[in-house]
Amino acid sequence: MTDHAAAHEQASASSNEEEIRRSVLSHLEHGRTYDAMHAARTLLEKQPGRRTHRFLRDTLDATAASATGLKQLKVALLSSFSIEFVQDSLVALGLLGGMRIEIYRAGFGTFRQELLDPGSALYAWSPDVVILAVEGGDWIPPAFGGYMEVKEDDFANIASRFKEEVSTLVGAFRARSTSPLLIHNIAQPSWRKLGILDPKPANGQGPVINQLNDSLSAVARAATDVHVVDYAALVNRHGAMNWYDERMKLYAKAPIASAMQAHLSAEYVKFFSAFAGLTKKCLALDLDNTLWGGVVGEDGIEGIHLGPDYPGSAFMEFQRLLLDLHRRGVLLAIASKNNPADVEEVFAGHRFMVLRREHFADVQIHWEAKSQSLIRIAEQLSIGLEQMVFVDDNPAECEEVRRALPMVRVIQLSGQPEYYVRTLQEAGLFDTLTISAEDRRRGDLYRQRAQANAARLNVASVEDYYRDLEMEIIVAPVDRATLSRTAQLTQKTNQFNVTTLRYSEAEVAARMADPIWAMATVGVKDKFGDNGIVGVVMAQERGENLDIDTLLLSCRVIGRTVETAMLAHLCDQARRRRIRTVTAWVVPSRKNAPARDVFERHGFSKIGEDDTGVTFWSLDLEAGTVEWPSWFKRL
Amino acid sequence: MRDDIEQKIKQIMADIFHLDPKQIDEETAMDNTEAWDSANHISLVLALEDEFSITFDVSEIETMTSFPDVVQAVAART
Repeated sequence: MTDHAAAHEQASASSNEEEIRRSVLSHLEHGRTYDAMHAARTLLEKQPGRRTHRFLRDTLDATAASATGLKQLKVALLSSFSIEFVQDSLVALGLLGGMRIEIYRAGFGTFRQELLDPGSALYAWSPDVVILAVEGGDWIPPAFGGYMEVKEDDFANIASRFKEEVSTLVGAFRARSTSPLLIHNIAQPSWRKLGILDPKPANGQGPVINQLNDSLSAVARAATDVHVVDYAALVNRHGAMNWYDERMKLYAKAPIASAMQAHLSAEYVKFFSAFAGLTKKCLALDLDNTLWGGVVGEDGIEGIHLGPDYPGSAFMEFQRLLLDLHRRGVLLAIASKNNPADVEEVFAGHRFMVLRREHFADVQIHWEAKSQSLIRIAEQLSIGLEQMVFVDDNPAECEEVRRALPMVRVIQLSGQPEYYVRTLQEAGLFDTLTISAEDRRRGDLYRQRAQANAARLNVASVEDYYRDLEMEIIVAPVDRATLSRTAQLTQKTNQFNVTTLRYSEAEVAARMADPIWAMATVGVKDKFGDNGIVGVVMAQERGENLDIDTLLLSCRVIGRTVETAMLAHLCDQARRRRIRTVTAWVVPSRKNAPARDVFERHGFSKIGEDDTGVTFWSLDLEAGTVEWPSWFKRL
Repeated sequence: MRDDIEQKIKQIMADIFHLDPKQIDEETAMDNTEAWDSANHISLVLALEDEFSITFDVSEIETMTSFPDVVQAVAART
């Protein structure tokens, strides 16, 4: 990249950031909660880090008076260290989760006084949630810095004394407040005092710390609305060497590394979502390239990737996570553009499917917009759209849902399937404070309740969606350069393919040389990138008619009116050749349901049907035509 | 290059100190900027480290008390 290009790119990146910042502010000022949440999420994806956290916090402060749908939550942080550096990220991530968080922070190391003194500033502030974030080394020195000085007989007392103190603090808090209390458990240090020996003796440092955590969990179980933040697991997940910043621990009493603070905040937000009733209930899933690799309608049950070898193994891992969620009470649903028969075949006959048909509370498989599917799923399951999460690998589908249903949380899977599990786990949307037997059976109950006759609802924004995709279309005659791709598309396209006639390169080349044939490839670009050549039309002059022999579209762009553009192109071609009528025929195949009504939808009249089900169609250009959709830019 | 760094630093300082980037110039320093207290000094250091993928030594952190000093310290690390 030249310096000039780099500078330009940087300038546009920063102006883009500026623009998103303005839209966050404006959405908040006007009470457009879901749009604000989405804009804030986009901003953090573009520019992660603490200055964005601070911007979001400042913006929330500046719009404190505006009526927003954000849930208000007063959070008190009690800590043994300087936890103030976590606050910006907590407020920012709270916004992403639909909350306006206000923070009370006690001076570090004062957590005992704050909890024990009925007249403390903590109680005067009446928090909705209190978090006790104490590092093990600050709270229980004999298990950390002072470990080597503990006499053999005293080890047993470390855990019992700790348990007693936690009980006292929890009891004092409960006497004063009915709010939930979150207590960090104790993370293991990066280095053990006894070195390689440490895990073996009962009194090794690691084993002693494990006892502390068992004690803490026991106190939490015995109390009401006291919860354990699994800080040990959090540090472990990211690695103690990454988690802690020794420099800032010693210099500023801020032990948690800057990049890790948002992970801690995200963990808190999971609890807050549960307290505020914002936990998601239903996970609606795409199928192709989401539950398995490849496109079942094109590749067939044998061709999709699902099984013990990569990449099928990655999709199996993802399905296992989904099954675990189902067993925790999350409702699974399918929102897929596919032929139902293909999908049923996979459920019935693929030996590596982890998920079975009965794990899904509702199934929407058709060629309508995914937003429609989600509306129907929500109706079927009697849940709110704001309780739904939609997962898809296709950016255009994600965009359509975001636009039509801003209250649905959309997770776009991107990149390699081995990261799908992480992407969904990190979103942390389904955490609950309890899991009951009813939760474990919920998926079944809902499925029994679900009925098949959902009402059709209209989404007015379909045209807006097409426009928003910023589609550019290139219709070009088949030539030497596109010959091979043209033949390939006729050979492998199954779903949107009216005749499913297969041609070799030689056959296509022969037609190129023959002027009675009008053949074109269709390329589509959109704001997400260049899809390349995705469609082919072939038609030949037959006396007074231009007869369509092939009309096909790659499944990537089905449902975007590209076929309308292709038919409009053919009508133009016919007029240029002074031909009055465009004719066509449809050969039904097991897979081409999405293409069967294409001529009917575009004003063709049915002129016949033979005994094999082949239908014949005709459009009189003096009576009608197919117009170019206005949302395409033609190149 | 230096200009880019300065622009970025101004944006970061503006965010951390609740200012407009235009308000930050050669004169901006810890002793004449209200929001530049010791806690925000740490926030600034961490935000700079975030943005430029660098890590300062404590001795550097202690010298970064004005806009020109910050630019100097960042430039030395990038």
